[in-house]
Amino acid sequence: MKTRAFQYFLLTLGAAAFAFPLWWMCVVSLETPQRAEAAITGSAGIALIPSDPQWSNYLHAMRETGSDPWWGFIDALSNSIVVTVLVVVGTVLSSSLVGYAFARLRFRGSRSMFLLMLATMMLPGQVTMIPLFLLFREFGWIDSILPLVVPAYFGNAFFIFMYRQFIAQIPESLVEAARVDGLGHFAIWWKIILPLCKPVSAICAVFTFIGTWNDFLGPLIYLHTDESSTLAVALNSFKNQYGGLEDVHLLMALSLLTMIPCIVLFIAAQKTFVEGLARGAVKG
Amino acid sequence: MATIQFKQVSKVYEGGVRAVDAIDLSIGEGEFCVLVGPSGCGKSTTLRMLAGLEDITDGTLELDAQCVNDLSAKDRDIAFVFQNYALYPHLTVAQNIAFGLESRRTHRSALVAALRGNSAARHAESAAIEARVASVSHTLGLDALLQRRPRELSGGQRQRVAVGRAIARDPKVFLFDEPLSNLDARLRIETRAELRQLHRRLRATIVYVTHDQEEAMTLADRLVVMHEGRIQQNATPAQCYDAPANRFVASFIGTPPMNIIDGTIETREGQCSFVASGIRVALPSRWAPFSNTPRAITLGIRPDRVHISNASSNAIPATVESIESLGDRTDVALRCAMGRILMRSLPESLQNIREGDAVHVACDPAHIHLFDAGVAGARLTPIA
Repeated sequence: MKTRAFQYFLLTLGAAAFAFPLWWMCVVSLETPQRAEAAITGSAGIALIPSDPQWSNYLHAMRETGSDPWWGFIDALSNSIVVTVLVVVGTVLSSSLVGYAFARLRFRGSRSMFLLMLATMMLPGQVTMIPLFLLFREFGWIDSILPLVVPAYFGNAFFIFMYRQFIAQIPESLVEAARVDGLGHFAIWWKIILPLCKPVSAICAVFTFIGTWNDFLGPLIYLHTDESSTLAVALNSFKNQYGGLEDVHLLMALSLLTMIPCIVLFIAAQKTFVEGLARGAVKG
Repeated sequence: MATIQFKQVSKVYEGGVRAVDAIDLSIGEGEFCVLVGPSGCGKSTTLRMLAGLEDITDGTLELDAQCVNDLSAKDRDIAFVFQNYALYPHLTVAQNIAFGLESRRTHRSALVAALRGNSAARHAESAAIEARVASVSHTLGLDALLQRRPRELSGGQRQRVAVGRAIARDPKVFLFDEPLSNLDARLRIETRAELRQLHRRLRATIVYVTHDQEEAMTLADRLVVMHEGRIQQNATPAQCYDAPANRFVASFIGTPPMNIIDGTIETREGQCSFVASGIRVALPSRWAPFSNTPRAITLGIRPDRVHISNASSNAIPATVESIESLGDRTDVALRCAMGRILMRSLPESLQNIREGDAVHVACDPAHIHLFDAGVAGARLTPIA
């Protein structure tokens, strides 16, 4: 009993430590400008729960994003949504398709190609940044979402590896049964493998979502106009414009707004992470 | 229904392992053919080649007199029941049964059908699939389980769904790869009878693989015994049991296995006999032509053709090693100069026998089998 209480105590302590920055952001975003500034500078304490929450801070922050009132925020939000959705869909589809090929198709050179693909994981993003920029400029893709979205449709080495490991554990007989039932490889991937890969797809989708939603460097390099920028870039411009202590409540409000989709998604997909769907596929 | 013909079919895996070695086999329309043999004998590979799941290295495979060597699995119109059932875990029982039909439908997408203006045809197709699923599930007693997923079913139910998925499509040929090996003994016997009934009803061509010779004997119209990639015997179960083609078939078919004793055959003073370790067993005169010159030979006798006898010239002295009572019959292991001999008798005839007793046993001369010496020894056919 004692050990259990101690465990809970430790876990609560850890959770509190991790939740603190979020809570702090939340509280500051709801304070009046004066109290927020005082809290930042340390000249006054901060209430656990704001006594007079300023919900208008959020509206204010949204209105002030970008150069066009309201539209700056709406543009950035819709750009972020479009890019993120396209990248998530592309990564899940392409990575699972390639993972299936590596796991289940026997073809000459598959092993060395797999190793080569794994080797690309060792390459830091900074190394490919300039060649990629030159390439996409050659294509005339600058200031469009294409440089951010198209590479996702060519698979992601880490997720391909994850899919391959998972698919290799799906009984071969399921694939064979589907072949006998009249399906080709593409249909097998779509109708059998992809539904069975739900746990991996959830992980892939959530991590890709968070990575793309929060991606700052990519949009900064390829998107140059206000209308085409994503939330992460808009947030940065907002910081440059309203980075003063007197506006910190607005910055916190906008930061929190930007984070909401990631938090919601993580909570929603949590269950699928741990769910093993392949249970009961065969004898048990 | 279809006929199947293997012509000199071989399968060599990468690394040179020859799993199937130039087999010739012809299976008639509506026949229940069972491939049986120990693990690694090539029976599953043969079945998988027939299904199109393995490439054929050499030879020709014909379905309905048409070469299907290069035809993919989906175009062969066959159904395969896997050892582990291979039910799609994310689909319900009904969807599993309908899967093969769905993937073969002509109007796949509702949207495309609507655009082309043939929604009615698509509806008719959907209704036909539904009706087929209903009739198949009714036949197999799966009506109450249609909305369940495979993980919510017992082993026997999963097995029935796998069979249902196979029969829903009404294929030319059914292939079964050890479908009963994951069931418990009692369920296995029940399902065996159900499969037999199903075959009678469908009159379909069935190729069935098992390593269990009892299952093979009870199911087969025709039994194909395989060993080391080759067909050892292709005959009815009764023929395989009564006249095994060689020593391997003799020892593989039948429980408990046939007693196999190495020795020589010779004629002395006009009496043809089998001699091993100094013990002489008189053979009927029909074996005489084989004994003109003494030669090494293998004698086979089924355990139920060995009996306790009085000490006579033809009896073999032995010691009772163990007695296993199975209720309706008793298996006795005997140790004699020739080696270990198994005997199966009715319990009444063994009432006074105890483990360790010295007894005499004799073989029923009419049921003695002789084979050429050596592991692959072929059967010697006596003069009638």
